[in-house]
Amino acid sequence: MISDRLKRTILSELDLDEFDLRDETVAGEVPGWDSLSHVRVISAVEAEYGARFKTLELLKLRNVGDLQALVNRQAAK
Amino acid sequence: MGVVAAGALPAVLAYPNARLHPDKFIEGLVGMTRRSGLDWILTEASLEPVVGGLARGAKSTIKGVILPLQSEWGEPNTVEPIGLRGSDPCLLQHSSGTTGLQKAVVLSHDAILGHADAYAEALHLSPDDKVVSWLPLYHDMGMIAAFQMPLALGMTLVQLDPFQWITAPVLLLHAISQERGTVTWLPNFAFNLLADRVHEEELEEVRLDTMRLFVNCSEPVRSDSLRRFVERFRHLGVRPEHLSACYAMAETTFAATQTTPGRAPVTLVLDRSSILNGCASPATERPVRECVSSGKPIRGCELKVVDETGVQLNDGQVGEIVIRSEQMFTEYRNNEEDTRVALRKGWYFSGDYGFTLEGEWFVVGRKKDIIVVAGKNLFPEDIEDAVNLVPGVLPGRVVAFGIDNEAAGTEEVCVTAETELQGETERKALRREVQKAGMRIDITISHVHLVSPRWLIKSSAGKVSRRANRQRILDGELTKG
Repeated sequence: MISDRLKRTILSELDLDEFDLRDETVAGEVPGWDSLSHVRVISAVEAEYGARFKTLELLKLRNVGDLQALVNRQAAK
Repeated sequence: MGVVAAGALPAVLAYPNARLHPDKFIEGLVGMTRRSGLDWILTEASLEPVVGGLARGAKSTIKGVILPLQSEWGEPNTVEPIGLRGSDPCLLQHSSGTTGLQKAVVLSHDAILGHADAYAEALHLSPDDKVVSWLPLYHDMGMIAAFQMPLALGMTLVQLDPFQWITAPVLLLHAISQERGTVTWLPNFAFNLLADRVHEEELEEVRLDTMRLFVNCSEPVRSDSLRRFVERFRHLGVRPEHLSACYAMAETTFAATQTTPGRAPVTLVLDRSSILNGCASPATERPVRECVSSGKPIRGCELKVVDETGVQLNDGQVGEIVIRSEQMFTEYRNNEEDTRVALRKGWYFSGDYGFTLEGEWFVVGRKKDIIVVAGKNLFPEDIEDAVNLVPGVLPGRVVAFGIDNEAAGTEEVCVTAETELQGETERKALRREVQKAGMRIDITISHVHLVSPRWLIKSSAGKVSRRANRQRILDGELTKG
């Protein structure tokens, strides 16, 4: 389940009003979310949650659900 | 190398990525096989289901798919040398594009080996140098500069995965530091990405002081990007004299000009309008443009600037750059017409605008409407064709062009399309569909402007003019009310 906060952060960085982000959504399905903007999206998520993700954690992300899980793990620390 | 030794002509093609629609990928590949005359695909098992159909379909020229990693490796075959000559073709380099605009550049053994020697001389390379690269091998900078040069000269190459690098740019700095790298090639946007997106805490124990050369190439070199890069990594050992710039293209194998190693590239502050008017002059009070030199011709290359009639221009005058090179491509494969247009009496007409001043070469623009996003050349025609098919867009009333994104250090794709739709909800949905049309051909459309019928300016030839409409958007006509 993708939280409203994460969804808002991603869509706002991509300048999208609305998009149905689900656990299984991959970046390639979302307008504007390509390899070049991916780093911007991650930076925006880090800024929103005051978090710093490790390189290895970022390389393991497969979909938006994985990103949500990563955010949740950081929050639990 | 095995393919070359067997007397065949290899071409490295881009791997399909998640964004590109599989049908579009196959469509592009079919077109490419027919134009370039490709016979066999060597790939890995996981791609067989995607490309296997090509061998069975009548549309492509592919005779079969070979999976070398699945083969039983017996005793090596003794291959008789087939008596290759230096002028024989060595490899094919494809330009980007999906709708028939890509060309297959044929390079000979002489061109590739000659280029390796001449470019190594320009960069003062030795076998002690160590190249670190994240560049894909289907791009000429990745294939020729970062791969063939180390191969020909016996230098060590540390190759990173392009997808991993773009996800975590710091990987390049870690590789340089751990492997004590000395040379890397990067498109301009990578300087911005590294300067802006790497966290300081990821740089503990990273040292970049083994580096001699960060070569900026494959998209216009921006002085601001170079400045930011040095400021950001000065504490790790990066100095202005480690920065370098190069003007290169597949048709001259790779490099045509290169700045001198150990000296920061020369930068000129010029009057912006003087460049547009064809004669570069030092800045006055008016808007300025900083131009970074791409250096001097490498050995075996001769450049001149010509006007529209082919007459050579003087120092400081802006015109088309034409090149004569000992490392020139042989031809565009199966494409006599384009070869004839590009290659005239031994001179390659680059389609790039530039000027020379005191022996330094400056590239300032392009004759062709190519959009360069993160070092990748995109043809506006491909984007316009895709957007034209979107219901709600008036057919033929679409233009695509590039606009600068200073912060990212590269261009972004902008599409302007005419529509009769009036409602805000409908227009919002149409914008989304236009973006999706771009996604299907793996192109991110960053800006979509919808305009009313007959808004777009046509050229005298009756075609919608990319330049005039781009200028209209940049002048803010849409926001003037």
